[in-house]
Amino acid sequence: MAETAAHHPLDPLEPRDLVAPHHDDKSLNETLLDHVWRKPGKGWFMLFGLSLSALGLLVIGVTYTLARGIGVWGNNQPVGWAFDIINFVWWVGIGHAGTLISAILLLFQQKWRTSINRFAEAMTLFAVMCAGLFPLLHTGRPWFAFWLFPYPSTLGAWPQFRSPLVWDVFAISTYLTVSALFWFVGLIPDLAALRDSSKTKLQRTIYGLFALGWRGSGRHWHNYKIAYLLLAGLSTPLVVSVHTIVSFDFAVSLLPGWHATIFPPYFVAGAVFSGFAMVITLIVPARKYLGLRDVITDRHLENMNKVILATGLLVSYGYLMEHFIAWYSQNQYEFWTFYVNRATGPYAGVYWLMITCNVVTPNIFWFKKCRTSVPIMWVASIAVNIGMWCERFIIIVTSLSQDFLPSSWGIYTPTWVDWSIYVGTLGLFGTLFLLFLKFVPAVAISEVKELQLELKHAAHHNSHGAH
Amino acid sequence: MEAKVLDSWVLAEFATPDILVDATRQMREKGFQGMDTYSPYPLHGGSEALGLPPSRVPFIALCGGLTGMVTALSMQTWMNTIDYKLNIGGRPLLSLPAWVPITFELTVLFAAFGIFFGLLGLSRLPQPYHTVFESEDFRSASTHGYWLGVPHAPGQDAAAVIDQLKALGATQVTVVTGEKE
Repeated sequence: MAETAAHHPLDPLEPRDLVAPHHDDKSLNETLLDHVWRKPGKGWFMLFGLSLSALGLLVIGVTYTLARGIGVWGNNQPVGWAFDIINFVWWVGIGHAGTLISAILLLFQQKWRTSINRFAEAMTLFAVMCAGLFPLLHTGRPWFAFWLFPYPSTLGAWPQFRSPLVWDVFAISTYLTVSALFWFVGLIPDLAALRDSSKTKLQRTIYGLFALGWRGSGRHWHNYKIAYLLLAGLSTPLVVSVHTIVSFDFAVSLLPGWHATIFPPYFVAGAVFSGFAMVITLIVPARKYLGLRDVITDRHLENMNKVILATGLLVSYGYLMEHFIAWYSQNQYEFWTFYVNRATGPYAGVYWLMITCNVVTPNIFWFKKCRTSVPIMWVASIAVNIGMWCERFIIIVTSLSQDFLPSSWGIYTPTWVDWSIYVGTLGLFGTLFLLFLKFVPAVAISEVKELQLELKHAAHHNSHGAH
Repeated sequence: MEAKVLDSWVLAEFATPDILVDATRQMREKGFQGMDTYSPYPLHGGSEALGLPPSRVPFIALCGGLTGMVTALSMQTWMNTIDYKLNIGGRPLLSLPAWVPITFELTVLFAAFGIFFGLLGLSRLPQPYHTVFESEDFRSASTHGYWLGVPHAPGQDAAAVIDQLKALGATQVTVVTGEKE
């Protein structure tokens, strides 16, 4: 670390201003804990009201589904998987970015993750909760969902472990559990900070309960550091494996448009793509509202846009390869799916929207102006989220609605129940997220302080090296 | 609990993490045992200054992971090959490749449990009460204070320890006494 970043603007190993330099531990505390102790503003309450209303839609949709059965959805023969699985895959994909930011960037020692990892991990947890709801309802009799687990039942039967759907159950539940542990372990020191700066007895008791009596002991840090690193190390292959298994749900079958070996990497890239877009969508307003500009700097946003560009290109490559193989294999069913049905069939509008959002949009990030302009990146990130949703729709619905026999083709249209459950999960996500922003520090305080110290040391060495 | 056992600590606050690490090292060289540092984030060189042995968390994680792997493989083999034979289109009953995903997931899950509960167990957490919390000033340890705790026999005069800590640059020193668990 000899010279300042100004000399090597492109060297990724040089320290840069990841935290505004005028902070010390005390002012960082005030900045980062402030939003927890402040009474939430009008904006928060308005958003919370909106999210709660949407959550109400979820309650209505789920209740109606449970009361009347799956028939109230638009699912039919041949389209047996529709909104339930589309939204499941979409939500899980969004969840993956959080783990990637947290875990993979930690392993790569990318210091810029520090300010956004807590935020992203919370997003992961809530997104996976929303995702988990869909397969549960999709079983049709969610009160028997425990049949999916290998427990010694009176039925005398065990699950079929060769089925990707059973793999999925294990993958999603493991992912949720490990993400929750990772998030909580990262949270413990900050909960202790909240406990010790509480204003009232009640706050101190509640935060104290969750902080487990953490006192910042050197003997505890000694175990904590390695535990956190190991959890990150475990989460990294876990993310890749979970979305791979989600893609197996499709790839292991024989349906044209699903039966492809590129699915696992292509799904993982798509997941990271949509997840990072969702982080941008959420972090831009949150940063403004929470006053975290000093910690979540423009550099962070620019870095995330670079990741969106990279993964967007990977996804585009996936589309390209699917179409190439459909032609190269000369399989008439595949050819029909990719060149006729998707591009010109009943769902062509959704297909071209997907191409616009996923293939065209990310390319604006080649230009620095777009990478650094907040309004542009925010709109682009929403476009990417819509595009990825369309992708799941296209993969699932077009392949099912027109497969091998024209006599068994059918059209799928979602009903109001489908839409209300989907919008309802957005509400559930928003509600949980706003509560998280209110009650928990949105930035990993202890890590930011540590980084601040490191940066100061580095700056100190630099100034000495210059003399 | 029978008779109350008292536990007493001399707590010294230091201005910066570096001074704290230095002071810790020097106190240990003087022969003080069982000390502990307190800081809002891990100290660079803190573990070495306290002379801690390597953490046992990785070993516990490995045991957890291996347990998960063995559990998953034996569970699937027994359930689908021995106890409840599912013949799906004549596929082999012992189809190991199909069991890779669940084996992997359970390995990760058990390893994560190992890490989490290993961390809690080795750190004796949750521990809502500890003697050091008797000092209200000590509350700064989780936000912006750097403290060194030296265990000390209750009821004895701590003047010598206090002087030594002050000589090493402590900004304030207090003695706290509370109940041992």
